[in-house]
Amino acid sequence: MHLENLGVLCPTRNISLPEAFSGTQNVSSPLKEEAWRVNVRIQGCDLSHGYLCGTMEALNVPMADTPVVTFWEGEIVDTKNYTFFTNKWKATSEVDIEHWSKFPSFSPLLVEVDGGKSLDLSNYQYIFMRWKEQYFVNVGADCGLTIAGFYYVCFSCVDGSINGYYYDPNSSPFQKLELKTTNEGRTGFSFSSYELQ
Amino acid sequence: MPGSASTTSHRSESLITRLHSASSSQNNETKLKVLRELKNQIIGNRTKKISYIKQGAVPFVVSVLSNCDCVNDCLVVVQCAAIVGSFACGVDVGVTAVLEAGAFAHLIALLSRDNVKVVDAGARALRMIYQSKVAPKYDFFEEKNIQFLISLLDRNNENVTGLGASIITHSCQTHDEQKILADAGVLKKLINLLGGTTNQRDASLESFATIIKENPEVISKFVGPENGRTWCTLIELTKDRYPRTRLLACKCINLIKNAAPSYLQYVGMRTKLILVLLELLDDPGQVGDEALFTLSSFIEDDEGLQKLAFETNTIDKLLNRTQKELLQAKRLQGVFITLANICSNLECCRSILIQSPKALNFVTDALTHTNVDVRVAACICLKNISRSVKYLSAGRFMTESVIMPLIQLLFDTSTSVQVAALCTISNIVVDFTMHKSLFVQNGGVKQLVQLSKSMDSVIRLNAVWALRNLVFLVDSRCKEVIFMELRALTLTSLVSDPSASVQEQALALICNLVNGPVDSIEYVFSEDGLLMNAVGRQLWSASKPEVLIQGMYVLCNVASGKEFHKEAVMHQLLPQPNNDGTQSIMVTMLQSDTAQLRTAAVWTIVNLTIPTGAGALARVVKLRNAGIVSQLKNMVNDPCLDVKLRVKTALGQSMTFGDFST
Repeated sequence: MHLENLGVLCPTRNISLPEAFSGTQNVSSPLKEEAWRVNVRIQGCDLSHGYLCGTMEALNVPMADTPVVTFWEGEIVDTKNYTFFTNKWKATSEVDIEHWSKFPSFSPLLVEVDGGKSLDLSNYQYIFMRWKEQYFVNVGADCGLTIAGFYYVCFSCVDGSINGYYYDPNSSPFQKLELKTTNEGRTGFSFSSYELQ
Repeated sequence: MPGSASTTSHRSESLITRLHSASSSQNNETKLKVLRELKNQIIGNRTKKISYIKQGAVPFVVSVLSNCDCVNDCLVVVQCAAIVGSFACGVDVGVTAVLEAGAFAHLIALLSRDNVKVVDAGARALRMIYQSKVAPKYDFFEEKNIQFLISLLDRNNENVTGLGASIITHSCQTHDEQKILADAGVLKKLINLLGGTTNQRDASLESFATIIKENPEVISKFVGPENGRTWCTLIELTKDRYPRTRLLACKCINLIKNAAPSYLQYVGMRTKLILVLLELLDDPGQVGDEALFTLSSFIEDDEGLQKLAFETNTIDKLLNRTQKELLQAKRLQGVFITLANICSNLECCRSILIQSPKALNFVTDALTHTNVDVRVAACICLKNISRSVKYLSAGRFMTESVIMPLIQLLFDTSTSVQVAALCTISNIVVDFTMHKSLFVQNGGVKQLVQLSKSMDSVIRLNAVWALRNLVFLVDSRCKEVIFMELRALTLTSLVSDPSASVQEQALALICNLVNGPVDSIEYVFSEDGLLMNAVGRQLWSASKPEVLIQGMYVLCNVASGKEFHKEAVMHQLLPQPNNDGTQSIMVTMLQSDTAQLRTAAVWTIVNLTIPTGAGALARVVKLRNAGIVSQLKNMVNDPCLDVKLRVKTALGQSMTFGDFST
């Protein structure tokens, strides 16, 4: 068994996902709104278990001298491994629906009753996920930032964009994450891959 | 009291002389005396056995046996048979000697005698012979041999039935032989013997396992719901008071599970079996060793069973054992293989080992063990642990304590160790924290490149695989070092390697090489475009989709560069002007049954037709003239979502320059 990097493709979904994204996260504080620049890299995926992971790099973070990198793990809402209902991280089903409804691509889906268990999303042009940061890669946990919450995420297979909303009962609600694929100086799309043994 | 060497030698020569005399003597008392003396010297004494074999004792004993009358000379016959059996016991040269002396036929003849002691002696001696790999192969294809074997299993004699079982365990090797025995009803007879003495049970269990091993057809015919009694018997035997019996019963159940997993699911024995095997690990000897290997086989390739093993604290139990005592090589090997299997799929298992510095040290220390099998097993264990993307992301494996011994193993004298180390390294160098320089600086690249030129295709494959993973997202400086070591010429040769798997990995390596900063693309243009041409040639000639996919992605990546790069890709994809009749390989790829290949091809076209480039229009015209645009139009409803979306993008970009329908 091996994992294929998303930069080539995810075999069971037959979707090739870019590996690098950049954009912003809107961060609310009592005093002002600010936007952190964010780079996200997807590093691994195991579609049979609805799993993917990667890193998130937040730049221009006021409390930090350097960009802050976190490692996150994702749950892909494939209705087999995971449904739209989170069932953990202090997110009730009401909170789930409230957040998923922020994505226009969610509205055609009938989810309220069973979290979408009976839906077949294998050919849907959007991929829904939850991303949960697990640890800080390059700074200590006392850096002043929190990774207590998680993101509701929607990836568009059409244009490769990612939108997300951060949920943490102790933080400002609906902090928005907006990312686009980065071509890193190229005129086109480039792919790389690894294969674990 | 040990005598002097000269006294001992004198004694044995005297014994041989007397044995010679006895073989032609009519006096049974004389014979018995010298035979008993010989027997007492050799029993349990391997040195003495070999010494007497060299002095030619065996033919004399067989000669005495052949001249005996089983009715009047029972005692002599029994002694001879015991001596022959003793010479054969655990000594392969002894087995050869007794066979060459013609003992086999005489021993077989003893089995049909009336005297029970004679029969026992003959059967025991033959069993000793059949425990050796140099024993003659029993021909199960002869009907009379099958009948003879069945007659042995039907006898009411523990030694004779044991002989029948030994013959099966020794000689049954192929599926055809298993089928013959199963069709002859041998399995049923063996099951019946499970109700006998401990020796009968153990011998029968071993033979049963031999017949069913890796033969789903035999198993499915024998162990169905109507054979509930068999199951009950086997399950009961896992609770037997003798450890060896419990182990053999577990082995049989494991073999059945390997061929028919759903059957064991129904029975619900899984957790119990794991606990029985774990408890057997308390045995410090062979039973404990085999229990470990049975456990590792039981959970291999079965995530559900690995989870059960995790839930029964298998990892802790194994690790606790390693801390209590210094383990022998066989046991260590078993521990690592079991840990490897339990970590093969489950992150929770890997976490336990990674988060414990003692556990990880235990594994890495074993990489320098003196025993080859232990080194291989430790590598495999580390390889499976390092499947954790989470911990690769944390850089937990890119440390000196892990990397240094692994690099050393690349120089190991054993090929199997080298291969195991290569497989492990290929995971560890995926390291996402970009600390790959540790590997590069410690000579890892040099040796990987060296091994990529090996005559052994397995070594070559795994070396290239490791290089591919090393180059994945590596920084520019390390990339330069790697390329300088590898050289375009070596890579070119790997791209057209006799093995398609090596080709695939080499192309994936190049794909990673040209990814990253746009100037990385220049690597394929070095030495007059050596690599670029090699990739193009492979795309025109290869047939395996896996190879074509990677080759296509190389061109896709190159096509994401500058204008010159895109033109170079066009040159590779389109037929040469003097080959007007040839269809572009791009059309062939787009028509492939393999979705991944169609995807790679369309992404390449997306890159070639990006409207902002100065040469974009000219490229679109060429692609249209080559029939590629019309092929894309046929793919707007491709069953693969990814292809469908990229086709839409590519067509949209092409249409920017006008519709070509007129």
